[in-house]
Amino acid sequence: MVRNMDAFVHGIFMLLSLKTFLTIVACSLYGLFVGSIPGLSATLAASLLVPFTFFMDPLAALVSIVSMSAMAIFAGDIPAALIRIPGTPSSAAYTYDSYALTQQGKSQLVLGTDIIFSAIGGLMGAAVLMTAAPLLAEVAMKFSTFEYFWLAALGLSATVMVSAGSQAKGAIAMCLGLFLSTIGVDITLGFPRFTFGNVDLLNGVSFIPAMIGVFGISEVMRNVSQRRMDFAITKVKTRGMFAGVGKLIKKYQWNMCRSGVIGTIIGVLPGAGADIAAWIAYAASKRASKEPELYGKGSIEAIVDAGTANNACLAGDWVPALVFGIPGDSITAVVIGVIFMKGLRPGPMIFEQQPEIIYGVYFAFIVANLLMVPFGWLAVKVSSQMLRVPKNILIPIILMFAITGAFAINNDVFDIITLGVLGIVGFFMEKNGYPVAPIVLGLVLGPILEQNFMTSMIKSDWDLTLFFVRPISALLGGITVAMWGFPFLMAFIEKTKKNNGAPAQ
Amino acid sequence: MGKNDYIGAGIFIALGVFIWAVSFQFPVLTGGHPGPSLFPRVLGTLFILFSLIVILQGRRKSKTPPPAEDEGGNVIIIGKENYFNAVLVIILIAAFIALAGHLGFIITGGAVLFILMWKLHVRPLAGLIISAIVICLIYSVFAKGLRVPLPHGFLWW
Repeated sequence: MVRNMDAFVHGIFMLLSLKTFLTIVACSLYGLFVGSIPGLSATLAASLLVPFTFFMDPLAALVSIVSMSAMAIFAGDIPAALIRIPGTPSSAAYTYDSYALTQQGKSQLVLGTDIIFSAIGGLMGAAVLMTAAPLLAEVAMKFSTFEYFWLAALGLSATVMVSAGSQAKGAIAMCLGLFLSTIGVDITLGFPRFTFGNVDLLNGVSFIPAMIGVFGISEVMRNVSQRRMDFAITKVKTRGMFAGVGKLIKKYQWNMCRSGVIGTIIGVLPGAGADIAAWIAYAASKRASKEPELYGKGSIEAIVDAGTANNACLAGDWVPALVFGIPGDSITAVVIGVIFMKGLRPGPMIFEQQPEIIYGVYFAFIVANLLMVPFGWLAVKVSSQMLRVPKNILIPIILMFAITGAFAINNDVFDIITLGVLGIVGFFMEKNGYPVAPIVLGLVLGPILEQNFMTSMIKSDWDLTLFFVRPISALLGGITVAMWGFPFLMAFIEKTKKNNGAPAQ
Repeated sequence: MGKNDYIGAGIFIALGVFIWAVSFQFPVLTGGHPGPSLFPRVLGTLFILFSLIVILQGRRKSKTPPPAEDEGGNVIIIGKENYFNAVLVIILIAAFIALAGHLGFIITGGAVLFILMWKLHVRPLAGLIISAIVICLIYSVFAKGLRVPLPHGFLWW
C-alpha cells in the first residue's frame, strides 16, 4: 500500500509539525463550535475557513478542512440530543431517536454513543480512503478526456438526483452553477462570454467569494429573517458517559460494519453527502432491526447506524475529489477550490507528484477521528454554554468574516459584489425549495465538463460516438444516462401500480 | 408549490432565452462547428426544459394539501419572520462596498456589525462594545496576521 516510504514518512512529519498540529486542534474546536449551533452547517464552516487556508501551506489547508468537517458532523448530534434540533443536516435522520432517549434520562449514553461511533465511522472511512484512492488513481491514469467528461456529468447528475425536494429544481440550480462557470474567457477561442465589457468578469466568477456567498451570506440572511428560538437545555453529566458504549460496540458490530460501508460508498458516489448517508443507513438499519418499532421513538441502534455512516461518508467524499477532481459533496467542492487555490491539480497526478500531501490527508483523518473522543467529551461538557451563545451576536460576526474573507482572496472589491449577488440568489432559491449545493458543484465541475467535452470533440472531429465506444467511457456514460432515466422509470412504475389498484409507495 | 414557483420558473425561462440570444454573438469554429456558443446553448435549453417541469410539477402538487408543521421538543418560537433583516444584510454589504474605501475598514465594518446587532435586538451599549472589539480582532487577524491590505480610509493605520 505504501509505495513511496519517503513520502509516507514526510507526510506524517509534515502533519505532526507543531504548526500543522495546532491548525488541526484549532479547526477541530472551530468545527465543534459551528456544528453544535443549530442553523449553521459544516459547509458554512468550511466556506468561512477558506480565506484562512489561502495563507496556509497546502497540507495545513487541507487538514484544516478535514478536522473541521469531522468535528462539525459529530457536533451536530449534540443539539439533536439536547434540544431536538440537528446542528447540521447530517444529524437529522436520528434526531427524534436521540431526543427521545434524552427524555428517558439517557442523554449520557446517547452522546457517548455519538462520539464513539462517529470516531469509528470516521476511521472506517479513512481506511477506505487509504486503500481505494491509490488504486482508483492508478485506473484514473488511463482516463482520457472522454472519461473525465462522463465523470463530471456523473457527479452533476448524482447531485441532482439526491437533491432534497424537486429534482427539477436541483437541475436548475446545477444549470445556474454551470452557467456561472461559462462567464469569462472561453477555452476554445478565448472569446469573452457574458462579460458585457466588464474587465472583472474576464477571469470568470471567482469561486471562493461565490461559494461564501451561496453558503455563507444566504445562511446569514436566512438566520436574520427567521423567528427567534428559545429552548431549555438538558444538562449532561460527562462522568461515565462512555459506560455502556463498549457493550454497544459488541452488540452492534455488524451494524457498525454495514453502516461504515454504506457511508463510505455514499461518500464515494459524487454529489451525495453525509446527510444522505445517514438517511440511507437509518433506513437499512430499520429494515434489518429486530426492534423496528423503536425507530423514531428512541432507538440506540438507529443512532449507532446513522452516526457511523455520516462520519464514514466524510472520508469517502474525498476519494472522487482527490482521484478525479470530482467533489463528493459540497464540502469537498470547497476542498477542490482550495486545492486549485494552492496551485495543485486534483487528479491522479497528485498521487505521483505530491504523495506526501496525500499521506498527510490520510493521517489527518485518523488524527481527527482519534481527537474526536477527548474533544467530543469536552464539547458535551460545555454544551449548555455553547448552545447558549447568542446568535444575534454570532450572525453579524459571521457576516463580517464572510465580507473580509471574500475580499482577502484577491484584495478586490468586485469579489464582495460577487459575494452579495450570489448570497441573494442562494437565499431566494433556498426559500423557494431550490437546493444551493448544486450551484457550487456546477461552478466547480463546469470548466471540467466543457473543457473535456470540447477537447474530445475536436480530437474526434466531432464524432459523438466515441463517447460510447471506449469501454470505461461507455460504462460511465451508461450510468449517467440511466441516472437521468431513473425518476421517469419510478414515476412510470408508480403510475402502473396505481392503475392496477396497488397502493402507491 | 405555489405562485413563487411560477415566478421562479419564469425567471429561469427568461434566463434561458437570454443565454440563447447572447450566444448568437459568439464566433464559430472552423468548419462551422459551434465553439464558445455550444455549452451556453445547451444550458439555455436545459433552463427552459427544467423550468417547464417545475411549472408542471407545481400544477400537480398545488392540489395536495401541505403537511402539518411539527413544533414539538422543548423549543419555543418567538416573534414573526422578518424579511427586512435579510434586505438589511444586502444593504449593509452594499454600504460596505461604497464606504469602506473612504471611511476605512474599521469604521465601516464596525458600523455594519453594530447596525446588524442592534436590529437583532442586542442592547446598544453591548452592541457598540462587542462591535468595537470584534472589528479590531478581525482587523488584527487579516491585516496584521495575514497581511491583507484592508482599506485604511482616512485613518492612519
